[in-house]
Amino acid sequence: MTTTISSPMPQIAKSAGPPDPYLVKVRDLVYQVAGIFQPDNKLHFLEDRCQRRLKELRICTLREYYDCLTVKPIRQAELVSLLNEITIGETCFFRNQPQLDALRHVVLPAILEAKGKLPLRHLRIWSAGCSTGEEPYTLNMLLMEEAAGQLKNWTFEILATDLNERSLAHCKNGVYGDYSTRNLTPYYRQKYFDSTDNQLRVTSRLRGGITFTRLNLLDDARMAFMKSIDVIFCCNVLIYFDVLSKRHVIQHFYNNLLPHGYLFLGHSESLFGITDEFRLVHLPSTTAYVRSQHRQAVSR
Amino acid sequence: MTMTVCSKEALLARLAKVDEMPSIPVVVAPLLRYLEQPLDQLDVNKVVDLLSQDKSLTAQCLHMANSPLWGHWQKVDSLRNAVVALGFQRLREIVISCSILKLVPGKAQIDPIVFWEHSLGCALVCRQFARRVNFASPEKAYLGGLLHDLGIIVNLWLLPREFATVLDMAQRQRIPLHEAELDVLGLTHCESGQLLARRWALTDDIIDVVGYHHHPEKAPNHKALAALVGLSDLLCRMGGIGHGFPEMRQVNFLEEPGFALLRSECPSSSDLDWARFTFELEGYLDEVRCLVRQLYRPA
Repeated sequence: MTTTISSPMPQIAKSAGPPDPYLVKVRDLVYQVAGIFQPDNKLHFLEDRCQRRLKELRICTLREYYDCLTVKPIRQAELVSLLNEITIGETCFFRNQPQLDALRHVVLPAILEAKGKLPLRHLRIWSAGCSTGEEPYTLNMLLMEEAAGQLKNWTFEILATDLNERSLAHCKNGVYGDYSTRNLTPYYRQKYFDSTDNQLRVTSRLRGGITFTRLNLLDDARMAFMKSIDVIFCCNVLIYFDVLSKRHVIQHFYNNLLPHGYLFLGHSESLFGITDEFRLVHLPSTTAYVRSQHRQAVSR
Repeated sequence: MTMTVCSKEALLARLAKVDEMPSIPVVVAPLLRYLEQPLDQLDVNKVVDLLSQDKSLTAQCLHMANSPLWGHWQKVDSLRNAVVALGFQRLREIVISCSILKLVPGKAQIDPIVFWEHSLGCALVCRQFARRVNFASPEKAYLGGLLHDLGIIVNLWLLPREFATVLDMAQRQRIPLHEAELDVLGLTHCESGQLLARRWALTDDIIDVVGYHHHPEKAPNHKALAALVGLSDLLCRMGGIGHGFPEMRQVNFLEEPGFALLRSECPSSSDLDWARFTFELEGYLDEVRCLVRQLYRPA
């Protein structure tokens, strides 16, 4: 392909101006406290979400809002409200495609290789904080698509847990509207869903491989029973926990995962400063965490 | 399995014809020579005079000066203001990078936009990375990022058929380009890039970057710079701004040999929050894509 340089006097791009320093402060605070980061190209999104809170709180400036998040007595509740604004509406089928591609092309082959020598050819994937079910159903579709390929002669199950009973009821009901299903291609709609009153209902086949259970991630006794997990997805859940609770849950995840296991968090979510037991790994256009001992375990 | 299409010796003989490659725009050499002088002896008007002889360079300087990537938020609408806003150092980088882009052959197997996105993206990541870990010269790191894949251009010109096989293999198997090169050619763009870097009389540190960014431990002198550029290159490729296809693999940066080299020169890199740094990159890699698409369009 030939390229040419565009016209000698191009129209100069209009820049929106430097970001409000208090918006950057809010961004950094949210990352420090909750572990979710909004890069520069998403600052307008964060600003929009802050503006909603400003309106609600009847204040005018980001500076005042930053005070609400730091010094006012309402700061903890306000942080939760802001996090809700940041993550609201994110849930849909096939939400994080790079994560799913990495699972399919990098993570599954690595796990199958690590477990290949064992007699039990079985995979356990856990959607921890599954909300209304889009994530576990997506994971099940992905695995079912691989059943005749790399998962041939393997069995698999998906554990889907959430604290909220209403969310779990939604999961089990398995009926979804336009917004949730916006990323579903006709292929998946046809293969895994039945149409019902302008909505889509998951087929019994798709629901079949998933166990939905109520679980509090801070419940030590119940968490200790989540064993032999290959991959944990825990997206936009830990951001609501304080540092001590986060560490507690992460310690459980470490014990729940098999040595070769992977932990996926939400987009732009990080465990920095929380634990040394997991190491960040880079996958194509996404990141995940593996147990720090993994490399030594493999090389031994 | 080695699929070498031709003996390495024969390929090296063809690469020796690096002198026959097209040269950079006429105005570039005098401009770069002028910019080599001490800063206090440089005259903005003289630079503007030289630069204005090349319309496309003028346009690109204006575009660049108006990009938030450089941290400028005021509208820059004259070449003189663009030169002032960018500064002589950055101007030099832009002149070099635009000149290199023009060297990508018209019927290249690699999309010039992809090549340019990767080079500019890597340059920006290098500079940001250098600042974050207190590397001595962020601007040198930027230049290294810009030029690190010079060898790809050499391969496109001098080994077009063989390089097409390389690209096809890398794309199909989703493996790094240099691994496919080694398999098909028995040599990589690092070796061919060094030939051109020497011919252009680039400085020793940049020659080390071009030649050893995939194996910084083998660099004769500037291991940490080569490592920093190599890690930035890898971050870009894993972040989706690579050579036009995703590399399906897993990377643990803390265990990369280049990271150990960088850490020995920049101890503060041990404390780097890789997750945050990666998320930050998403922000400006998007900006790189927009900028490159603004600057270049298919004929």
